Amino acid sequence: MPTTSHDTAMILKGKKRERFSMEKQKACWGWMFVFPALLFFSVFSFYPMINALYMSFMQKDLLSLNPPEFIGLRNYIYLIHSSDFWNSIKDTTIFTLGTFLPLLVFSLILAAFIMSRQKFQKFFQMAFYSPAVLSSVVAAVIWLLIFNPRGLANQGLNLLFQTPGIDHKWLANDKMLQLSTIIVYFWKYIGYFTIVFVAGMGAIPLSLYEAARIDGASSWKAFWRITLPLIKPTTVLVSIMAMLQCLKTFSTQYLFTTSGAPTSPINVITLNIYNTAIRDHRIGRASAMSIILFAIMLFLTWVQFKASKSDKVSYT
Amino acid sequence: MKRIKIVIPVLLVFLLCFNVFAENKIVLNYWTQTDDNRTALENRYIQEFEKANPNVEIKRVTNESSKMADLLLTAFSANNGPDLFNLTIDQEYAYMVNGRVAPVDYRAIGYKSYNDLKADYLKNTFNALSMKGKIYGLPLELTNWCIYINKKVFRSAGLDPEKDYPKTWEDMVNVSEKLVLRDGNIIKRRGFDFRYPDYLTFFVPMVQQLGGDVLDSTGKKAIVNDKAWIKVLNFMKAWGPNGKNLGSPTYLNARKTFDKDNNDVAMCTSGLYQEQRIRDDNPAFFNSKEWMVIPYPVFKGGKHIPCAYYGHFLMVNAQSSKEKQTMAWKFTKYMLDHPMEYLEKVAILQPRASLINSEAFKDMPYTKVFMDDLVKAQPILANKNSARIQMYIKEAVESVMLTDTSAETTLKTLKSKIQEVLDEE
Repeated sequence: MPTTSHDTAMILKGKKRERFSMEKQKACWGWMFVFPALLFFSVFSFYPMINALYMSFMQKDLLSLNPPEFIGLRNYIYLIHSSDFWNSIKDTTIFTLGTFLPLLVFSLILAAFIMSRQKFQKFFQMAFYSPAVLSSVVAAVIWLLIFNPRGLANQGLNLLFQTPGIDHKWLANDKMLQLSTIIVYFWKYIGYFTIVFVAGMGAIPLSLYEAARIDGASSWKAFWRITLPLIKPTTVLVSIMAMLQCLKTFSTQYLFTTSGAPTSPINVITLNIYNTAIRDHRIGRASAMSIILFAIMLFLTWVQFKASKSDKVSYT
Repeated sequence: MKRIKIVIPVLLVFLLCFNVFAENKIVLNYWTQTDDNRTALENRYIQEFEKANPNVEIKRVTNESSKMADLLLTAFSANNGPDLFNLTIDQEYAYMVNGRVAPVDYRAIGYKSYNDLKADYLKNTFNALSMKGKIYGLPLELTNWCIYINKKVFRSAGLDPEKDYPKTWEDMVNVSEKLVLRDGNIIKRRGFDFRYPDYLTFFVPMVQQLGGDVLDSTGKKAIVNDKAWIKVLNFMKAWGPNGKNLGSPTYLNARKTFDKDNNDVAMCTSGLYQEQRIRDDNPAFFNSKEWMVIPYPVFKGGKHIPCAYYGHFLMVNAQSSKEKQTMAWKFTKYMLDHPMEYLEKVAILQPRASLINSEAFKDMPYTKVFMDDLVKAQPILANKNSARIQMYIKEAVESVMLTDTSAETTLKTLKSKIQEVLDEE
């Protein structure tokens, strides 16, 4: 028991030091656990990003032994005046809007369908998710065979509409080609986002539905009044993830264009970046394009966060 | 403690010795494409070469053909390229002009001069690989394409393959129209189809037959002779699904389906190596003699310019040590001293004079057809930006074949794109 004010001060100081050292220790452990991830991120993500930004102000041929030459904003100015780049922006926009919105809507519907099932929930989850396990290249190869003029896509449509012998030009016509890439991506990722929604819906307490049922709410009303508002954070997450995935699309377009499909309708930014760097060896210009894509992605993510206002929900 | 005192010095001595031996050993990294037959053959050459040169170790790395160019580019851009590699001529040119590859060390491989080396090969073999009086690679493979014909399909359409085979592109359209089978708009059997997307190899010679070209003689101006280009672009437009509907880049590659002899295609474009592939994939068809090879057609009244020849040349990294470079050339020469074995086991043609003039080569089916075309052929466009130019030509041809864009508009776009590339050089 402290006897003097001096003793009290000493004890308080000691306790403070003890607490501080405990906090420091905890922080140390925290840093130790986080360090590998930070190191990994720094080496494989942060450094390439900084390097891409640096290279975007340079002129450099990938094979040249000469050092990069500083050219300021010339790569960006070139891109602003390049019809090819604006075509890529257009193609990326068409693809993203055409894929991301249906992905969001249909994965939500499918998740609600799965959650409403009493039986076979796991089976449906596995069935919908299975395409996501395939590599994008394998998926594109499978769909290339389907979209071949003699493939299943033409046969299916012709059987459905009783139009034998019609070639719907899945890989030849501009609009059909864009639709084809959208179908491949939609097929591949719908299961993945459905599972994310299923997880979000699974976290909603059942007592809320029970209370609503007692109050006489129909399933439809429960979905609109309980499920939809309470999965808002999941919806925001899925919309951002789906949008970013769509903006980064590459494999399908790459494989389709190298297999005979025209490039122009599906020359998305990532494909343009690849061709500029690897085919043309212009790493500076490709870096500038990747920085612009990064800025677009960052901006759209910020807009979505702002539009959704808050991603917090309360079950009370 | 005592044990540690003994173990550590022993370990250090061992490591030192190992390091000394390792330093004396020349390790060559050799990157090439996946090909099971070639791998078996070259692994044997490696064993033999290592036995004859105990201080050499060769690490042979195989990569998918489609990924090889990307992998090499990234390795070289990080100054970490292999000591020895091969690519197609058009892709290799950029390595030459950027000083990434070393000239052939002709003395190390037993030649007195470059002329002595050239004399050992078919005329013009090194045209695309020569720069400032030096040669930068040795040919692993030199290929030109002719037309393979399935005689049965010809006969089923009432044609005599020996007499009715197409000599001109105009004939090709007429014959294909007789051979093609359709279900509505969907082609069930093609008479012939082009080898998309290798436009520098098959398409540019068609333009050259009419007096056109990609670049002028200075290499500074894009598109020579608009008329020739427009005629060939219109020819492709008529060939495609919006014209006579005889073929399209979106169908399966004709060469791949030809071997099956399943009434899918009557003619395809391919090289001498296709014979081996037919023999491997469908021996019954190969032995039936129901196939034949004809020269590459020309336009009526056009110059006799056959399909362009391309090739894979073995090149040595200029950043490797001199010792490694010399050894890499010696190893290359050792491998390439077996042209007959490469032809028989891998079905690739190495244009060694000794092989071309041998009776065994002449006795092989249709080698004369290929050689007659090859001596008249020009090499594929070798330019720093060949790949980019080919991509633009691909876009142009597919634009006229698959969309409503006119040949004139397409050519205008193509010209401006290639000119921009040239202006940036």
